[in-house]
Amino acid sequence: MGATLISAEDIKKRYEMGQVHVYALKGVNFTLREKELVVVLGESGSGKTTLVNIVGGMDRPTEGRLHFGQIALHDCDEAALTDYRRNQVGFIFQFYNLMPNLTARENIHLAVEIARDPLNVEELLRQVGLGDRGNHFPSQLSGGEQQRVAIARALAKNPRLLLCDEPTGALDLPTGRQILSLLSEFRDRYGKTVVIITHNTNISRMADRIVYLKDGKVEWVKKNEKPIPAEEVSW
Amino acid sequence: MTLRRKMLRDMRANAGSYLACLALVVIGVVAFLSFSIARDNMVLSKESLYREENFADGFAELAAMPEHRLRKIRRMAGIRQASGRLIRDVQVHDPEREASVYLRLVSLDLEETDRLNDVRLLEGEPLSDKEMRCWIDGQFFEANRLELDQELEIIAGGRTRELVVSGVGICPEFVYPLRTESEIYVNPEQFGVAFLPDKIMWSLFPEMDRAFNSLAFSLEDGAEFQDVKEELEIELERYGVIEVYPREDQTSHFILTEEIEVIGTMATFFPVMILSIAAFIIYIVLKRLVEQQRGQIGILKAFGYSSRAILLHYFSYSLTLALIGGAAGGLIGMWLAGPLTDLLYEFFHLPEVYAGFSVRHLLLSLGICLAVLGFGGYHGCKTVLRLEPAEAMRPPAPKGAKKFFLEKIPFFTSILTIQGKMAIRNLFRSRSRTAFVFLGIAVSCAMVAFTWALATESMPKFMFQPYQEVMVYDARVNLENPRPRKAGREELERLAEVARAEPLVEIPVKLIHRWREENVAAIGLLPESRLYNILDKDGNRIVASDDGLILSERLAENLGAAPGSTLELESIFLRDPDRTVKVAVVAVVPQYIGMNAYMGIAGLEDLLRRGEFATAFLVETAPGPGTVRDRVAGLRERYRESDFVAGVDEREDLVALMEEQWETAGWVINLYVLIGVIFSFSIIYVSSLIVLSERNRELASLRVLGMTSREVFSVITFEQWFLAFFAVIAGLPLARLIMNAFARQWSTDMYAMPAEMSAGSWLAGIAMTVISIWAAQRFTLRKIKRLEIVEALKTGE
Repeated sequence: MGATLISAEDIKKRYEMGQVHVYALKGVNFTLREKELVVVLGESGSGKTTLVNIVGGMDRPTEGRLHFGQIALHDCDEAALTDYRRNQVGFIFQFYNLMPNLTARENIHLAVEIARDPLNVEELLRQVGLGDRGNHFPSQLSGGEQQRVAIARALAKNPRLLLCDEPTGALDLPTGRQILSLLSEFRDRYGKTVVIITHNTNISRMADRIVYLKDGKVEWVKKNEKPIPAEEVSW
Repeated sequence: MTLRRKMLRDMRANAGSYLACLALVVIGVVAFLSFSIARDNMVLSKESLYREENFADGFAELAAMPEHRLRKIRRMAGIRQASGRLIRDVQVHDPEREASVYLRLVSLDLEETDRLNDVRLLEGEPLSDKEMRCWIDGQFFEANRLELDQELEIIAGGRTRELVVSGVGICPEFVYPLRTESEIYVNPEQFGVAFLPDKIMWSLFPEMDRAFNSLAFSLEDGAEFQDVKEELEIELERYGVIEVYPREDQTSHFILTEEIEVIGTMATFFPVMILSIAAFIIYIVLKRLVEQQRGQIGILKAFGYSSRAILLHYFSYSLTLALIGGAAGGLIGMWLAGPLTDLLYEFFHLPEVYAGFSVRHLLLSLGICLAVLGFGGYHGCKTVLRLEPAEAMRPPAPKGAKKFFLEKIPFFTSILTIQGKMAIRNLFRSRSRTAFVFLGIAVSCAMVAFTWALATESMPKFMFQPYQEVMVYDARVNLENPRPRKAGREELERLAEVARAEPLVEIPVKLIHRWREENVAAIGLLPESRLYNILDKDGNRIVASDDGLILSERLAENLGAAPGSTLELESIFLRDPDRTVKVAVVAVVPQYIGMNAYMGIAGLEDLLRRGEFATAFLVETAPGPGTVRDRVAGLRERYRESDFVAGVDEREDLVALMEEQWETAGWVINLYVLIGVIFSFSIIYVSSLIVLSERNRELASLRVLGMTSREVFSVITFEQWFLAFFAVIAGLPLARLIMNAFARQWSTDMYAMPAEMSAGSWLAGIAMTVISIWAAQRFTLRKIKRLEIVEALKTGE
């Protein structure tokens, strides 16, 4: 594995709801290294999505220090966070979140247009198996196909970090496997760091490392000595 | 690039709202540009004519002043230049014409090099002192299909004379020539202006040899009109000065200026109103879109699109509309300005100046659209800036809902269905949208009721009441000079054509109340007059009193007088014109055209300390063979070459002219009604679309529960009808306010617009609003029927 890409120290996130303060993260510590595939496990309400939002630069920690390489994300202003999201992070969501009135190709172009060093759109479409479906709108694609577009779109910017929030949550097993394969393949081919957030413990079997979140804290971190290929993951 | 595609597809998906907005933008810009350019054309044309033909700063009307006195006037302090004119109205004799045709003859001093109120010769030849030739105003020339060198028979000084048309011209003094103050529309077929050399004029009217009855003068730089007026009045007193007045009070100039102002008001009032609604629609549409697409905004932010870039993306929706609307409206507006200016030139005798295609106007319309829609659009989508990416990714927290206050009343709750309760609670949940729809329906209802009242009540009353209810004679016999009324009446009533003749005195007077004064015509009537009715506010007849004056409302307002006030009266008709007499005000009555003071004819004679006299007779024709028109023609023929009858006017001619004008005005007013309906429809339609997109899932859920499209539809319609009920109630007083403001704005010393609005107009407002709501709801129903339940229920977008 490579050098440290992300380091989080005592990250806390507090939400204020009127008089009540709710802590979604209560002091999270972990690191992510380059080119590794990490699965963040946790049950509903454990703080997984809050963590991915903070790591992805979509939200700021209330307390703690978060670094991406030399960049202190906890100190970044809105413009710097935007730049970080634009050039370093690719997001993949459970419900794909494609622009409904743009075709598959256009959805990917949307990311390419703002990237500094984008990948080739047609190449990506081919790699995700949608070479002939580029002109279809999301409503004309199956769930698996939509998620493949979302992966291509996230990769198109050529980011160093891919954050996947429940990427198979809305898919059946065979389609989910295909998606996991793609993520694994892209990690290998392009050398990206891939973080998969899920409550599905079976997926952790393909990870290099597993981070387990519980009640807003990292309960444990475990290295997986023998990751299995994505095609063999089952649930 | 890709975002632009997204924008276009978003707009296509919700084309109805954007098209409604675009239509309003185009209408607003068209109204703005066509009226603005037409106004600019008029102003340019007016200024060039005034400047080049030396339009005077002031005028004086007098009985007669010898020509040689003009030199002294010209030397007076404050006066730069003065021209003396002899002005007389004569009848044109044309045996083939039934109606009376009049010409105002105006003398020109051919030796004066830079005459005031000069004539711009459009075609023809110069005049000569030695020939009975004249220049004639262009509209009269055209309306009567005259030709150069054609002879006109005029009746001057009781004799028929032949006048040859030598040229066609326009004069700044007669841009809008009216024969009498009781007219509001020019009638070039029956009245025109002819310009003759002064020597020829003196030969036509020997009693005015080498004398003038009118002065036009211009002022030195820095001279005050009031100071010059005071000096002039003293100087001209011995020549029977009737009135000295500034350019501002000159009828033609006054009406032209008013018209330009009205067009200017139209160029601002309507566009501002229409564009404000367009801005409001784009505000609501974009606000809704941003709320709806918050997930997409989250994604864009997650990608690394900056808030500003996303804001710009949504802002570009309104900019696109502004650019398309501004360009289309600009081009159509510029194109329509031509016909609109043509229409104005039909009334106003001005040199025809047209602004062609102008980049400045196009940029101006684009600029206005960008500013107005930019404002609405920015406020609609500025929440994009506040939305945190992580927050944007989550669905918005459901809006709070609670029972509304009426639900505390058990009866009210018991009559509402579940759909009804949903609808009403929703009204209270989305307050800004509720306010928008409420305001929209109220304004639409008010607009329709107002325009309806204008078209069916105020305008017809304004145009026809004076000729159908006030002046109800068949003909008016105007005298050259005052004549004994009793003898005149007896003479007329002996004629076969005449059933009844009533004497009338119409004389110029100056009325003074404290520091205020007004020059008007005082009208003396028989107390038992049946042919000229003085009517109060409710249309009841008021007897012309011998004890005091009845003032028209505007006159009373200008003088600050009320019943019981005492006025001072000056007139050249007073036995001793140097004196003033006191007279009480006994009543104030509405009057829509002109300002007058009325009195019993005998009372007026006493006041003036004169014996009995009349300046005109009102005639009711006797029943018999032929039409009224035939009998009036017979009367006219009898007095054709009379020394003391200046002309016989037929009321029917005036009514016909009004009807003709009404046809032109009618379509403009119908257009206003149509605009009111379009407003109403747009607002309801857009609000329905918003409700539909906002509550897609909720409505789809109702369908899943087993409700029919119509039952689901009823949730939306109940909400709209409930709101419409209260909005319409609010719209009616608003209509009344608009009508009062309009009448006040439109009324001048020459016209007063009656602010009429009956229950009929209110019902029309309600009916049109209901029809608009109903029609807009049909579109909504179609959309509900097409609602894809499964799609709408899918999580995410």
